[in-house]
Amino acid sequence: MASRTVAKDIITLRGSAAIVSEFFGYAANSILYNRGIYPEESFAKVKKYGLPMLLTQDEGVKSFITNLTAQLSEWLEAGKLQRVVMVIMSKATNEVLERWNFSIETDSDVFEKGVSREKSDREIMREIQAIMRQIASSITYLPCLDEPCVFDVLAYTDTDVAVPFTWIESDPKLIANPQMVKLHSFDTKIHKVDTLVSYKNDEWDEQ
Amino acid sequence: MDPETEFLSSKRQTGNEWELFKENVRPLKRGRNVDLLNHALKAHTNDQLKKSLLENRRRLIEAIDEYQGDDPLQPWLDCIKWVQEAFPPGGDFSGLVLIYEQCVRAFWHWDHYKDDLRYLKVWLEYAEHCSDAEVIYCFLDANDIGKTHSAYYIAYALHMESKSKMKAANDILNLGISSNAQPIEKLRDAYKKFLARSMRRPNATEEELKEDDLPVRSFGTVLARGESQRQAIKTFELGRNKLKQDQVHRTPLSIYNDTNMDVTRGHHSKPNTGSNSWHTLGGRAERNKENNAMPAKWTSHKIPQRPVPRIVGAVASAQIEVFVDEECEEKPKVHDEKDRTSSLQLRELDGRNIKKETELLRENPLRNFPSNSLPR
Repeated sequence: MASRTVAKDIITLRGSAAIVSEFFGYAANSILYNRGIYPEESFAKVKKYGLPMLLTQDEGVKSFITNLTAQLSEWLEAGKLQRVVMVIMSKATNEVLERWNFSIETDSDVFEKGVSREKSDREIMREIQAIMRQIASSITYLPCLDEPCVFDVLAYTDTDVAVPFTWIESDPKLIANPQMVKLHSFDTKIHKVDTLVSYKNDEWDEQ
Repeated sequence: MDPETEFLSSKRQTGNEWELFKENVRPLKRGRNVDLLNHALKAHTNDQLKKSLLENRRRLIEAIDEYQGDDPLQPWLDCIKWVQEAFPPGGDFSGLVLIYEQCVRAFWHWDHYKDDLRYLKVWLEYAEHCSDAEVIYCFLDANDIGKTHSAYYIAYALHMESKSKMKAANDILNLGISSNAQPIEKLRDAYKKFLARSMRRPNATEEELKEDDLPVRSFGTVLARGESQRQAIKTFELGRNKLKQDQVHRTPLSIYNDTNMDVTRGHHSKPNTGSNSWHTLGGRAERNKENNAMPAKWTSHKIPQRPVPRIVGAVASAQIEVFVDEECEEKPKVHDEKDRTSSLQLRELDGRNIKKETELLRENPLRNFPSNSLPR
């Protein structure tokens, strides 16, 4: 009985990579839903992290996100992923309006010494749940996006990493003088993920 | 290092008051500064911070009076932005409606600001706080304010749409497009969305009976539909901003009065012929009257027209006797370049007066305007 409990709490590198990439998939969907990038009715509800989470049913977006998370998982397992940023831009002008920045700290001991870590699934899920709640509540301070928007995903990796041709080099697509809000983090003990959202200062005299 | 990397590596944390008290925060279209928001939320339970808030407000109002430059609208905007941040829930005690009103009234006759987008936005935000903003849009129309901007046409049309006046909304958007309002793409886009929504409407009935709107007899359903449409529009257009709570507060509830055929919206007029209402349960026949009454034509019942406060702007306010403290007395507004008296009043209003004045303005947003400025 004791051994069974312990076995459940052991986090492997592969397991952690799966948790983080899965988190990213759900977070991306949540952002697309909450920020109104795609219409409400194109999402379906599922239960995850103890919350009702919304997933897009649009085939194009679905496959984009699936390929994305698969690639992220690969990079995470190699310990090469530093940051993932979801960028929201105005469709008309391509101006960057909002950035959802997930920065990843990898425990180098796991790679160098091959140690494993322990943390309960439950606790990780609770931490992720807190972040998802914050994403949904962020309308409290985010400017309203009242024009059609598109999104893109940027990945910051170590330089010695194999990049598939479906990814291209890009400029960082930063916002000048952004407002920034740090949200909660979660930690699998192998990968620690910090979340930050940055958005444009809305001036009164803008169209 | 870019600002985000810098923030992350500094290990700074953002306070979480915004999340803890999110129900007390009214979302703003332009977004909020989270540090200011957290500070304001803390202040509402902390006297020290509260004092600094009041201090700030006084300074901003002084800045309005003391401004010497050639853009006197700017200090007003600084003050408005600050009040929005400092009073996250908004509401009747924030004085926001009063500031909007004083600001728009200070400059309505300034040609310089007629096409200024910032000035228009103050008007549009004022309109969002009123129970019936149509009178404001008519005013803007009559005085040629903001008509080069798409935002004016979009807001006006949305308002008409929320009252089910689809033809009027359609005309307004078309007028905006043919006037080449800027940015034109946004206007065209809004028009397309409007057309899509009007296709989806369940009752595509034309409700253009009269120019003025008749008060709608609401059995709860029509009112809810009007509001939920406004909600539906807003939810789609404004990306999940939960503005619908606000809409519910702005339009007064219409309570169906069974015994009294004169249903007028939002006016605390004649009392009920009291005795029969709640004191007696009535016989079974009377209790069951809804099930037993024979349907009849309604031609015999006239719904009186709701008095529209237009030409009679000044007169209407005279009818309602409102007790005003001496120091808060409004002096009749003349063409005053710098409304010094008005900002003094801003400073001296206290909580009770703010709420009272806000309610009056909500009902009759142009009540302080000189009658010659009002549209005929």
